[in-house]
Amino acid sequence: MHEASILASRNVLRPSPRGLKAWFARRLVGLMPFAFRLMRRFKPIAKMGSLYIATRHDDVRELFATDTAFAVPYKAKLDVITGGQPFFLGMGDTPDYRSGLKAMQDVVRADDLPVLAQGAEQRAEALVQAAGGRIEVVGLVRDVTFGLLGDYFGVPEPAAGSLQMWATRLFEFQFADSGDSPELRAQVDVIAPAMRAHVAAEIERRRSAGGAGGAWGDGGKDDVLARCLALQAASEPGYSDGEIRTALVCMMVGGPPQPPMVVPQALEQLLRRPAALSGAQAAARDGGDEALRGYVWEAMRFDPLAPGLPRVATRTWTLAQGTKRAREIPAGATVLAAFASAMMDERRVPDPHTFDPRRTPHQYIHFGHRLHECFGRHINGATLHRMLKPLLRREGLRRAHGREGRLSKNGPFAERLVVEWG
Amino acid sequence: MRQTTLSVPLEVKPESSARLTDLIEALRQREETPPLGHPQEYARIMRDVPSLHFMSMSVFPSHDYDPLFILEANFDGPSGAFWGQIEAAFGEDLRAMLRCCKRPLDRDGPLYDAVTAPDSRLAVAPYFEARTMRPSVFHHGNRGMTRDRILDEAALFLAIRDELHEADSDGPSPYRGASAAEAHQKLRAALLPAFPWLDHRAPKRIPLTERATDIVRLLLFAVAAVFIVSLPGIILQAFMRTDRYLIALIGLMIAIVVLLFLKRKPLPGTEAPGKFRPIAFLLRHSLLIVLMLGAYLLIAVPVATGLHMLFRGLGAEAAWQPALRAVLLGLAFIPLALLALVLRLRYLERRDSWHDAPHTDEQSLREMVRREDWIAQNHMGSIVLIKPGVLRSIIIHAGHLGLGLLLRVKATDGYLGSMRTVHFAHWAFLNNHSRLLFFSNFDHSWDSYLDDFIEKAHAGLTLAWGCGVGFPPTRFLVLDGASHGRMFKAWALASRAVSRFWYSAYKDLTVDQIERNARIATGLRRKSMTEKEAGRWMLDL
Repeated sequence: MHEASILASRNVLRPSPRGLKAWFARRLVGLMPFAFRLMRRFKPIAKMGSLYIATRHDDVRELFATDTAFAVPYKAKLDVITGGQPFFLGMGDTPDYRSGLKAMQDVVRADDLPVLAQGAEQRAEALVQAAGGRIEVVGLVRDVTFGLLGDYFGVPEPAAGSLQMWATRLFEFQFADSGDSPELRAQVDVIAPAMRAHVAAEIERRRSAGGAGGAWGDGGKDDVLARCLALQAASEPGYSDGEIRTALVCMMVGGPPQPPMVVPQALEQLLRRPAALSGAQAAARDGGDEALRGYVWEAMRFDPLAPGLPRVATRTWTLAQGTKRAREIPAGATVLAAFASAMMDERRVPDPHTFDPRRTPHQYIHFGHRLHECFGRHINGATLHRMLKPLLRREGLRRAHGREGRLSKNGPFAERLVVEWG
Repeated sequence: MRQTTLSVPLEVKPESSARLTDLIEALRQREETPPLGHPQEYARIMRDVPSLHFMSMSVFPSHDYDPLFILEANFDGPSGAFWGQIEAAFGEDLRAMLRCCKRPLDRDGPLYDAVTAPDSRLAVAPYFEARTMRPSVFHHGNRGMTRDRILDEAALFLAIRDELHEADSDGPSPYRGASAAEAHQKLRAALLPAFPWLDHRAPKRIPLTERATDIVRLLLFAVAAVFIVSLPGIILQAFMRTDRYLIALIGLMIAIVVLLFLKRKPLPGTEAPGKFRPIAFLLRHSLLIVLMLGAYLLIAVPVATGLHMLFRGLGAEAAWQPALRAVLLGLAFIPLALLALVLRLRYLERRDSWHDAPHTDEQSLREMVRREDWIAQNHMGSIVLIKPGVLRSIIIHAGHLGLGLLLRVKATDGYLGSMRTVHFAHWAFLNNHSRLLFFSNFDHSWDSYLDDFIEKAHAGLTLAWGCGVGFPPTRFLVLDGASHGRMFKAWALASRAVSRFWYSAYKDLTVDQIERNARIATGLRRKSMTEKEAGRWMLDL
């Protein structure tokens, strides 16, 4: 594909694979919960080819928590996206990791959460209102997320191209391309430099605007980029142009593509359970945001972001040591922390097949655990349910007729779900 | 929902006992000091461990053993989910406590190593699960009531109070002059918006399958017990003619009865007044005894017939008569077996030692007193040594098993005998069954709790605890014993340890009040009542 046409493409997702192989793969994914159940019972730490899979709640937590023996495998691909600039997502628990993390924590603040939550709901409400009784949910959530977080981080739409497509394609490359597709890599080799250049240009533009106007950002706008530039001006470490650019690129790649995956999946799960849907709608109408979050979190448990997250053993380690299921993982081996399975483990999650919106937080491992727990978990916690709230408030919310009323997927991505109301 | 009671006893390194005590105290202080934004003490546990009713942590010092750290927990549902919640709430606190405990020498040793290793991130829950000890006997006061249901119904009770109190603030009360059925409907309508769950049927406290299982297990125990006690008779009858067998039986029984009669009186100075009369008790429960024997016959005769057919090659018609004879003559042996056991026991009782003035550590006593009577409930934990001997060991183990099964069948409405003051209590055997552990979460003060038992259930108490070294002198297993009120209290007090950490999920509620709240809520869940039903229901308001 031509470079310009790659960048200008508006197709957020790559065409879904077709043919018998793709059909078979989809069926296999559908069987995964059952397979996990068998594994939890008979082979909790299984070896499949060169891959080890931890399926029980305790073991998945141990795997995530033991970052001294299990490292994240993200660095190589992250380097492609960032152009070799290090980012804390790819690091172990080092001083660089901590300083990088702190630099972002200083500009992505807890007191932004109420504003983000409100913003998510307002944007979703506007889109739902304009839709007039029928809407495609994946697109709705994608528009809300990218609009909201683009504004929040200070990354605008590129002049020629789509931030949604760029970020999602890079996200796929980073987190969902276990087969190392050459076609995808070719696209990434075009998109990643463009994304870096786009953010770098924005940094420059905002610095110029801030220098001229006396305040950082357009019209004194207080976003993450503005805060970074302010700290840069104050000579705080961790805010060089390269570091700001890398952080913003990674935030946009790692964050916004996720809600359009999990939120429609959550709605699909609610639509499958009339009682749960009714409870979620009652919470949405009564303004019970905490209760609504409980419904969405619980719905996500039945179809989470991914089956699991990979880790690479940096040294030989015995997982679940001292128990009957203990298994030695050799150095260099890849282990999948199957958090989807862990959240269904009846040994720690009471009545896992029952929809219970009042579960305690520890039963969920939606965003990892300990060192590399998703940086955006608090933003997700504040916004995901608020994106669905306007829809759930609608009377007569239902699936559209036919296949489009059922969530379709394209690989790990939610692709299309149409609902109606009124 | 089924409730679970368990305890985890862990031997403590003697040199780390003080450190462990400090860790438990630090945890208590942290939970009793709510952080900003939390409305009350222990709010974190309320939120993060929603299945928990009562939990305690104590360190029991001992002259005979190294100190013992015991975590006692009473909660809703299966233990795996509970430990998951505990892990999330206290995982690192428990890890630090485990490091003060000894490494077990059995197969749990490697797990202990992994959990307590420096910088270990392995969950501690599997270790606590592995070291969990199930009770030998337990009692749940409010059977089948989840913590959330107890709290919801308590909130409903308070809301009813407010509703009735404020009903006449803006004019005449709408409840005044209304019939009981009308008042019920008005009250329901007023409370339904705030308590929408009133529109749903209450979950069954004891599902039919659980109830049936409890009864079947008790029956199986009874059948097994009858079989074991009658087994010598079944063997003997095979070698004796029926008339000689019966004559021998009666002769021996008369001899033992005479001996028992001669030894019936308490030793000088050990008599204690008590209301329990064993013969009257047996007569009162004669129907139950007959039913159990009937159940035994129903099972034993066909089984014995089958065995005769199998081993002697007889047909069914020829086999049932000798089978019936064997079973009946076996049953006839039971009184003799029981009398012989009582005689042997009486021999042991007359030679038992007891503790007139057990030593109580003054500082521990002050600590216990300081922590008691702050709320409507209290807690006690006790460990006693068990008297040696095969007979006693058999009696206490069989007795605990039977008592546990009987309580599951009989104690379903909060009452333990005639008392309704125990939320959760259990006994368990420790240290290869050489010690007996007792935990209780009860209403009112420790003194009144024990007084209640001494007054109303001294026989049961003597039966369950009489095996303890130093227990006041007993007679025929159930007489005297706990009726020596002062001695018994001193003995029980000396066996206690300070409850360093104790949590109650509903500290203002007594067992009685929880049952009352449940009755009120169950009534309000009904859309309508007859006048008579409503009148009865209103008595609880």
